[in-house]
Amino acid sequence: MSKITDHDLYGTNFSIESMKVIAESIGIGYLADDAAKELAEDISFRLKHIIQDSAKFMNHAKRVKLMQTDVDAALRMKNIEPQYGFQSTEPLPFRFASGGGRELHFLEEKEVDLNDLLQNINPKAPLECTLRPHWLCIDGVQPTIPENPPPVAKNTQKLDSVDPVNKKPAKESSGKPTTGKQKLRNVETVQIKQLATHELSVEQQLYYKEITEACVGSDEARRAEALQSLASDPGLHEMLPRMCTFIIEGVRVNVVQNNLALLIYLMRMVKAILDNQSLYLEKYLHELIPSVTTCIVSKQLCMRPELDNHWALRDFASRLMAQICKNFNTSTNNIQTRVTRMFTNALQQDKVPLSSLYGALQGLSELGTEVTRIFILPRVRSIGARVESHLEGNLISNIDKIASGHIKQLMIKILAPVLKTLRTPPDHADDYRQDFGYLGVGLHAAVVKARTQPTPVTSAGAGSTGVAAGPITCGAGAGIGKTAPTPSGIIQQQNPNAGRTIVMNPSPRVQTPQSNQKFVFVTQRSQTPMGTSQQNQQTTSTAQNTVVKFVSNNPNQMQQKMQPQQKLVMMSNQSNQGSFQGQNLGGQPPALLISKQNYAMQQQHQQQVQPPMIDDLSHLS
Amino acid sequence: MDKSQLSAVLQVLKKYNLKETEELLKKEAQLTDNESQNSQQGSDVSSVLTGYKSDGDPEAYELSYTELKRFVESSLDIYKHELGTILFPVLVHMYLEMVYNGHTQKAISLMKKFGPEQESYYQEDLKKLAMVTKREHMNGNELTETFKSNQFIIRISRDTLSLLKRHLNDKKAAVMLNIIQEHLYFDMYEGVARNKGQIDATSGAIGGEAKRQDNKSKVFYGIPKAPDLVTLAGPVEDEEEGQDQDNPDKPKKKKSKKDPLFSKKTKSDPNAPPADRIPVPEWKDNDKLEKIKALREASKRVILGPESMPSCCCYTLLNANFTVCCAEITEDSSMLAVGFNDSIVKVWTLVPQKLRSMKSAEQLEEVNIEAEDVLVRMMDDRSGETSRTLCGHGGPVYSVSFSPDRSLLLSCSEDTTIRLWSLQIWTCLVVYKGHMFPVWDVKFSPMGYYFASAGYDRTARLWATDHYQPLRIFAGHFSDVDCIQFHPNSNYLATGSSDRRVCLYDCTTGHHVRLMTGHKSPVHALAFSVCGRYLASAGTDCKVLVWDLSHGHLVAELTGHEKTVHCLSFSRCGNLLVSGGLDCTLKLWDFTKLVEETTSDDVNVSHNPDVKSGEDYLLRSFATKSSPLVSVHFTRRNLLIAVALFDGTNTS
Repeated sequence: MSKITDHDLYGTNFSIESMKVIAESIGIGYLADDAAKELAEDISFRLKHIIQDSAKFMNHAKRVKLMQTDVDAALRMKNIEPQYGFQSTEPLPFRFASGGGRELHFLEEKEVDLNDLLQNINPKAPLECTLRPHWLCIDGVQPTIPENPPPVAKNTQKLDSVDPVNKKPAKESSGKPTTGKQKLRNVETVQIKQLATHELSVEQQLYYKEITEACVGSDEARRAEALQSLASDPGLHEMLPRMCTFIIEGVRVNVVQNNLALLIYLMRMVKAILDNQSLYLEKYLHELIPSVTTCIVSKQLCMRPELDNHWALRDFASRLMAQICKNFNTSTNNIQTRVTRMFTNALQQDKVPLSSLYGALQGLSELGTEVTRIFILPRVRSIGARVESHLEGNLISNIDKIASGHIKQLMIKILAPVLKTLRTPPDHADDYRQDFGYLGVGLHAAVVKARTQPTPVTSAGAGSTGVAAGPITCGAGAGIGKTAPTPSGIIQQQNPNAGRTIVMNPSPRVQTPQSNQKFVFVTQRSQTPMGTSQQNQQTTSTAQNTVVKFVSNNPNQMQQKMQPQQKLVMMSNQSNQGSFQGQNLGGQPPALLISKQNYAMQQQHQQQVQPPMIDDLSHLS
Repeated sequence: MDKSQLSAVLQVLKKYNLKETEELLKKEAQLTDNESQNSQQGSDVSSVLTGYKSDGDPEAYELSYTELKRFVESSLDIYKHELGTILFPVLVHMYLEMVYNGHTQKAISLMKKFGPEQESYYQEDLKKLAMVTKREHMNGNELTETFKSNQFIIRISRDTLSLLKRHLNDKKAAVMLNIIQEHLYFDMYEGVARNKGQIDATSGAIGGEAKRQDNKSKVFYGIPKAPDLVTLAGPVEDEEEGQDQDNPDKPKKKKSKKDPLFSKKTKSDPNAPPADRIPVPEWKDNDKLEKIKALREASKRVILGPESMPSCCCYTLLNANFTVCCAEITEDSSMLAVGFNDSIVKVWTLVPQKLRSMKSAEQLEEVNIEAEDVLVRMMDDRSGETSRTLCGHGGPVYSVSFSPDRSLLLSCSEDTTIRLWSLQIWTCLVVYKGHMFPVWDVKFSPMGYYFASAGYDRTARLWATDHYQPLRIFAGHFSDVDCIQFHPNSNYLATGSSDRRVCLYDCTTGHHVRLMTGHKSPVHALAFSVCGRYLASAGTDCKVLVWDLSHGHLVAELTGHEKTVHCLSFSRCGNLLVSGGLDCTLKLWDFTKLVEETTSDDVNVSHNPDVKSGEDYLLRSFATKSSPLVSVHFTRRNLLIAVALFDGTNTS
């Protein structure tokens, strides 16, 4: 036990000054020093006593956190009227009232207008407590399912990567008391880094085979399952090096072969691995980052650049890069700085291919508005000039024209929010043209539009939202803004018929353990065959408008908040997965971006976990 | 009773105008009016009641404490540790005496100087004592009252004691002598002085160690022979055979043993209490059927051990952020009850069978009472639900307990009441009011009918469901009684308290028969071994202690947990002990090994055997995903069930 200091033993008493201040607050102008001292001692003693008793209530509620209900209970037990109210923003928190022999301290509560209450966005009621059965161990072995902690904690994985000697001698199932460890240490008196062997069991080899096959295979349903497994299963760390090699080699080969589909699949694997909370990925970043970068800035990623939507891949990979930067950037590895520098260098070269230029722009824009402002804004003019030459010039190659169009759109999209905050209205088209050259007109239009529209599209806007755009991006303040702050609601997305009506159904029953304010989309495959070869459907699908309907348990309430007609553009083909552009039609405020269902973290797996039957040991053997 | 005390009592009687009592007392004590008048002037009620009045020079305290300390340190090694045990109580009483007499500054400086060097397990008490700096603070203060009105018990060998006495006589330090005489009780024993480890193992409780006298009486810790069920078992056996014929693949081994269930317990346990020691209501047919069902289930039980580890099904309560206080599973593992902070009790079914309620009165009239399955018929099939809520309490529900026949549920709450709920009509049947303060724990007896409760008011109470007042009140703990547990034979009741003592009470006599010290923090969980001889207890000090009830000795100290342990359970075969707590881990201990290594030869009443320590007995440890465990339970077939609360705020 640590040495107890005087401070610990005696705690602290209230100061005389605070007594005087408190006395003044209840109308006693002058309090003698002696009286204040006397009071301070007594009050400190009584407060400590109350806290001591509150701790009993905390212990019996099996908590380690003292809550105000515990204090209330302790007060009640001492026959003291508990405080009514807890949090207050006012400097003088409690009002006093007495009468009928009772003395109350309470918080002044403002009257609430019922209309306000109904119209405003109210915090959600807490979710009901639910029961989830799962196996903690089977015949003494803990299964690696998402409900259980990962067999090797991230910290241990980190330790392993720094010094392989730390790796446990044998694949011990969790919890076995380690006895041999001590001996091992003694032997290792000389610091020789041993080679740690990562042997995969037969099951793990099979798993690896299945997962990699499913990830790049043609069966979309299997792929979804495999990605889900990659993203949520604990205990994949032993296979991680193999998975990374698979991805890296895959990217290397398929870039050369211009196989867009496979590149997309591989990037989705990266995404899944990034999403897996139990993996210590730092070790493999040096391999993953080049691969992801390749998918962003490579000159050519597909067979027919004029037709295929390789832009989506670039967008998606950019988001991955942003996610990597956000998750792993530290002051020592400086990932974000290095990535930014890499993209900026690409911008500065005049000869860089247009597709690479697009990738670099996209990659930078995903890193946040600040990056956009500093690195992209100064180059608007030169990029504009280059784009102009391809769009308006005489010798037009189709590929360049398309690329330039994309760049133009991208520039306008990412710069509009920046300019909106940077420049003060009024906006004149001429000023813009003068400042930004060719792109000025488009930027002007976009900024004006953004100003008139209170709720901007938050896709590439702030860096953070761009990163979080994985599963879904909600237009803040849009119709479903009400549901957005809900901690861990699950929205089931179903395609009940071929008509592409998306039913969002907040189901309180199912709960993910990771309840960090994230929407989780449970996606079921629609009956409409999405097809497996799908690279060229982009044109048709972008034109296709889908009505998205929200259904909640309480439809009336929900629809009250909804704009009656909310039209969204759903990108429905594979190659399109990266672009989450929601298009506002007719200036309607709600702009909603829905990710491709493929990215949705699929929770089916968890839902399908059968509650183990009591005493049913038969299926264990 | 000496004169001054007597006169103090008389004074109180006079004050409250209880003339007759006063007269009577005077007569009995043969006290003349004159005498009482005389003594009145000299004595003051408060001085007698507090016993801290002293005109000692405040300077003398520090001096004599230093002297005592020096004496302890300079004594021979074999006596040193035993002598050291008196330092803490002496310091405490010196401090209180000085505070009482208004020498606050001196008292604080004494505490500052010597407080930190006391044993680590006393620091919490010292901290609490240090809060008391005025005489007024001592009024109604739990800890100071305890020290004031109880002698601090120290077990000491004859040699050590004589050494100490000699020292005190030599020095003639009045202050010290006074304190030791007034407030310390030496429980002397013959033999060698104990070493540091032995002393540490059993000290730590408020009020010192247990006296030898406390653990002398005989305890019937055995399990009585089960009532004869063979007559009822006849038809059941036939059924079994019928089933066996259906599956010829099944090993035939079972058949050869003629009803193995019922022949097993024919010889009665010598330590078992007589069957009629505690009156129990007669078994109903339904109870017998239930018993047989349980026995049949038990025959399919997996015998656990280091080689065959159990499977564990964990029920994680989601969205429970800080709202769940307790959970309990029925003996047959069919239902789970959870008590919430917001005063509701929720019952879930864990089997496909839904929770049904009884039919309405009109419908019940149509039910044929003579029918075999009348109990099934009276339930309304359409009312089946997977969970039901019981509302009624006015404060957090701290414990719930199912009756053995699963038709009743008890719950206790911060609102000082205990409620009995019917699980057939899903309403509250009785509100038992008796505790004046929050009730921390409630348990049904393994036989049903009786139940016990424990609470903040430092008592444990024994109740019967058909009496609205308690049958027994067990007082004796110096602080809250935090947990309670019936002995499997229902004759005894174990209590664990915040005074860090574990106590075993006899339900029939109401006396305490075992008093066990050794915990260093409040006790929060208790479990009896299947054989009835051992008791496991655990609490805030993160240790699981195993006690041998035959003599009340500490057998083992299982360390490994990092936070408070809140639940304990023995496997049905008695081979494993499971503990779980706030550190989100479930630990499995090898209890068979522990019992085998505890040789009972060298154990007698006065001498504590060496305490076994944890690590060797830990078989497995399973971590949950940041979900503290609130309940563990073994099904009849030895499947482990754990109930945990998912704490979403902790996840990374």
